[in-house]
Amino acid sequence: MSHDLNDDDIGTSADSLDLSPRAVTPRQQRKRRPWPAIIVLVLVVAAGGIVLTKFLTSAIDYYCNVNEIGAKSGCEAGHRLRVQGVVDKGSVENDGVTTKFDMSFGGVTIPVTYDGEPGGIFKECIPVVVHGILADGVFLGDRVEVKHSNEYKAANPNRVKNEGSTSEGTACSQ
Amino acid sequence: MNTSMSTKGSPRDRVTGTPFTRGLGILVLAGMALLIVLGLFVSPADVNQGESVRIMYAHVPGAWLAYLAFIVTAVSSAAYLWNRTRSLTWDRIAGASAEVGVLFMGISLITGSLWGRITWGTYWTWDARLTTTAFLFVTYIGYLAVRGLGGTHQQRARRSAVLALLAVLEIPLVHFSVELWNTLHQEASVAGRGTNVDMDGLMLFTLFLGVVVFTLMYVWLVLHRQRSLTLDDMLDDSGLDNALTARRAEGMKR
Repeated sequence: MSHDLNDDDIGTSADSLDLSPRAVTPRQQRKRRPWPAIIVLVLVVAAGGIVLTKFLTSAIDYYCNVNEIGAKSGCEAGHRLRVQGVVDKGSVENDGVTTKFDMSFGGVTIPVTYDGEPGGIFKECIPVVVHGILADGVFLGDRVEVKHSNEYKAANPNRVKNEGSTSEGTACSQ
Repeated sequence: MNTSMSTKGSPRDRVTGTPFTRGLGILVLAGMALLIVLGLFVSPADVNQGESVRIMYAHVPGAWLAYLAFIVTAVSSAAYLWNRTRSLTWDRIAGASAEVGVLFMGISLITGSLWGRITWGTYWTWDARLTTTAFLFVTYIGYLAVRGLGGTHQQRARRSAVLALLAVLEIPLVHFSVELWNTLHQEASVAGRGTNVDMDGLMLFTLFLGVVVFTLMYVWLVLHRQRSLTLDDMLDDSGLDNALTARRAEGMKR
């Protein structure tokens, strides 16, 4: 077996080859940098930083309730607010450009004007979060989000009719 | 072609299916068909949300299965660290479960975004539930990236196991975010603290079916992925053997 074997290469004969179990795996041997994983990690850390910033600046106490304006710290009038309340029954007016409605929470009511038509499932008697600023007692909204409840009822035509005939006041039945 | 995981032959020739996973797969398909019929046609529209409520049957199971998947990842990681044998099987179950969890979380985020557009009037907002969910999603993408960093299989397993045990702590934060803070996202309808389930009976049944079907689908996916990860690791090892054989053959020729 031992023809002109070079000592520097693999030893003086084939018998001296090291056949003992390996100590290193191919990934270590190849020493290729795992660039895709590194790039993803960098992006993940950046995205995580953005999300954390959003958490601290926006997510904690996403909104103030109507009755908390001026009463709770962080809910002072005069800077941008997000205000949550229930749209008053019969208060929604839309002239094609502006939507006006009243919203109440905890016994306090404020009038809201919004340039445009609120999206989502906006209607009276539903809780909404309005982004905007309070000026002269009117909340000027530039974004309306509908905060639906966690009640799920089948849309039963009979039941809707019955509710409509029994609750005719300005208060919402919910 | 082998019909099961046999110990013979090259990893390339093997398949990850077994009679059990085939039966499970058929069950998943049948359950999914039933879920589609119930969710899209039989169950009623909601009094407030109309037809859009049907998104719930994918959105909620997706989120719950993502939680479950990440918890399984954490438990398998703990089992890996706990066992003196440092069995890579636990590590591969952890990795497979995290991959499937990211998939389900993605499903939940996409369906939730569409649902939000229809009901809230916006695809996305930075309220506490959405923000913590985004953080959870990003964390587990990072976990998968750490698994791809290289090194030995044992190094991969150790790094990712420690990360998995830390990352799972985010789940209670996500789940209770709707109770800890004011959120646009609604509170938990079914698994909330002290909540009475306020949901139409057929809606609740369809949601329950969705959770069962998604759970079976999760098991099917994790079993297959865990086996394909095993084959990946075997290929890695056999790649070394092949390289050694080739170098030896070269040496002998000279």
